Amino acid sequence: MKRLALAIAVMFACFVFSTTLLAADTLDLTIPLPLTGKQAKFGEIMKRSYEMAAEEINAKGGIKSKKLALSFEDSSGKPETARAIVEKLIDVKKQPVIVGEYTSACAKAVAAVAEERKTPYLVVASADDAITQQNYKYVFRQNQVNAHYADAFVSFLQEVVKPKTIAVLYESSAFGTSGADAMEKDAKALGIQVVLKEKFETGAIDFKPLLSKVKAAQPDVVYTVSYANEAQLIMKQIKEIRLEAKLFAGGAAGFAIPEFIDGAKDAAEYVISATLWTPQVKYPGAKEFANKYKAKHGDFPSYHGASAYSALYVTADALNRAKDWTQDGIRDALKATNLMTAFAPVKFEDKEGYQNQNFAETLAIQVLKGEFETIWPKNQASKPYVFPVPTWKERR
Amino acid sequence: MTAVQTEVLLQTLISGILLGGLYALIGIGMTIIMGVMKIINLAHGELMMVGMYIAYVLYAYFHIDPYLSILIAAPALFLLGMALQKYLINPVVKVDSILPENQVILTVGIGMVLANLATIIFKSDYLQTPVSYGTKAWYLSDLWKQAPIELSLSFPWSVSFVVALLITACLWFFLAKTDMGKSIRATAQDKDAALLMGVNVGRMRVITFGLGSALVGSAGCLFIPIYYIYPDIGGQFTLIAFVITILGGLGSTVGAIIGGLILGLFESLTATYIGMGWAPVGRFVIFVAVLIFIPGGVASLLKSRKFGK
Repeated sequence: MKRLALAIAVMFACFVFSTTLLAADTLDLTIPLPLTGKQAKFGEIMKRSYEMAAEEINAKGGIKSKKLALSFEDSSGKPETARAIVEKLIDVKKQPVIVGEYTSACAKAVAAVAEERKTPYLVVASADDAITQQNYKYVFRQNQVNAHYADAFVSFLQEVVKPKTIAVLYESSAFGTSGADAMEKDAKALGIQVVLKEKFETGAIDFKPLLSKVKAAQPDVVYTVSYANEAQLIMKQIKEIRLEAKLFAGGAAGFAIPEFIDGAKDAAEYVISATLWTPQVKYPGAKEFANKYKAKHGDFPSYHGASAYSALYVTADALNRAKDWTQDGIRDALKATNLMTAFAPVKFEDKEGYQNQNFAETLAIQVLKGEFETIWPKNQASKPYVFPVPTWKERR
Repeated sequence: MTAVQTEVLLQTLISGILLGGLYALIGIGMTIIMGVMKIINLAHGELMMVGMYIAYVLYAYFHIDPYLSILIAAPALFLLGMALQKYLINPVVKVDSILPENQVILTVGIGMVLANLATIIFKSDYLQTPVSYGTKAWYLSDLWKQAPIELSLSFPWSVSFVVALLITACLWFFLAKTDMGKSIRATAQDKDAALLMGVNVGRMRVITFGLGSALVGSAGCLFIPIYYIYPDIGGQFTLIAFVITILGGLGSTVGAIIGGLILGLFESLTATYIGMGWAPVGRFVIFVAVLIFIPGGVASLLKSRKFGK
């Protein structure tokens, strides 16, 4: 009996010892993400990419010899949920740095919490300009802001398309609205007349009334800013009512993920989209990441994945350089970041009214033979662009 | 009116009628349940979601066309609806409680369970059935070469609309001409009188819930070639069905058909002439306006005409 008790005691001691040892060896990082709901597709791409980055970082010995242990919390793309998750992470789990979220509305909510609690927050793929325009000291953004999302696309318009009129359609979300405003501003600067600027609700079924109005206005370019499904439905219905324009274009997000081509099929052909990253960019590690992702999950990742993948490297880099792992220590390290990643060179600057903002070059892609090809700027191009595009009648 | 303006108006009306026909089918299912049970079935959209997933699975794994899958989805939803009524809602009806709305709350719960089950099984991916005729359409200029305007009629939308009409016609025949249909209507009009006349009210309730589910399930199959699915899609359709039910007059089948068409046309016209972003606002303006000015909905207008009040 005594022996048994002893054995149990020893086992128990071993168990306690091993868990404490384990705890000392890992660095827990919980990432809020939309894993259910309308933005789940983007969340999934990002989750996979975070996991790949964590695996690689751990394989190389982790951060200051601690293994990175990732976990994810689902915010379903709801700002209030995202807020609650981050409050819990900071107040209860004492996590000294926050990475993640996707929609602009969620990132805005998280940024406010992080700033209030003086915890550094790295924004990964949320575009709304306002996030880094509020004099926040603890909020960093790795991806380009909405005002510059379409930079490459705009220069393509200016140099190749030279349109006189443009119609801007956008989703009634923070991302859609700010993207449309930015395009309107760019168009005005180029002397292009905005003949129509209309928003639509997410989840709308029938776009044909709106599209026949666009058809009547006869714009040279139709530019749409939306998340995943509306992008596909709009292109399908544009084909259906034979809305002819010189160019159909989208502002990243829903137009730049593989599902766009799968869903819209032949209606997606020749559509041009602004994007932040493509598997064809010439940054070190970009191609390796894209191929590894494709081998594992069957599809090339979108810019969301690349940004998430690199965000973890940026975080790891800051944690490695931080003099201590306090909130301010990590903040100072993030601020001093100067890292080449698979996504883009990352450096957080204060300029043009933004704080802690990384200004990376954007790209334009076109769907050619059912594949995304980088077409602009020319030095990054993987294939020559096709312009003008054939009319719907000719395509049959 | 110039040719361009005419084209926009006509195209808008075509869209509105096609959309309205589909809306009507969603609304009818809710309205017959409302008529017999006297409760709003807030799991309606989720039942539609189940129908859509059945169509998706049949398409993705067995290559069955979404339109044909109605033949499988509708009976499946009929059985599911009957089971829900028999084993979940009926027991709650019998229990006296502080809240008379217990059954309504129960339907909310059922909806949540269905949505979360779908999340577990299918993840929250957006799924589609990329049918080959997805963007096929008929064009006026193909039929009439010198047409001054160009109109298009989408193939999948038209098929969905026609099938919705056929289903509605069958339902009308069932309710008006068959014994069981008459019993259902009797239960809806006066439960106690029906009971005294020897109608098995409990059974009628079970069948009605099954019927309502089957209708909305087939609506799901009609929607999937032109839309997409994800587990949380139910809510928006529950809302549409609810607005149609109120608009048409609670429990009135004809009212629901007219209500669906009105809502479809109204949404399309709003999208063209005010702005698409205003569609949800418009929907609720209709909702509130109907409640204030014609509380009985379209059905009450039809009735007052008939009796010359």
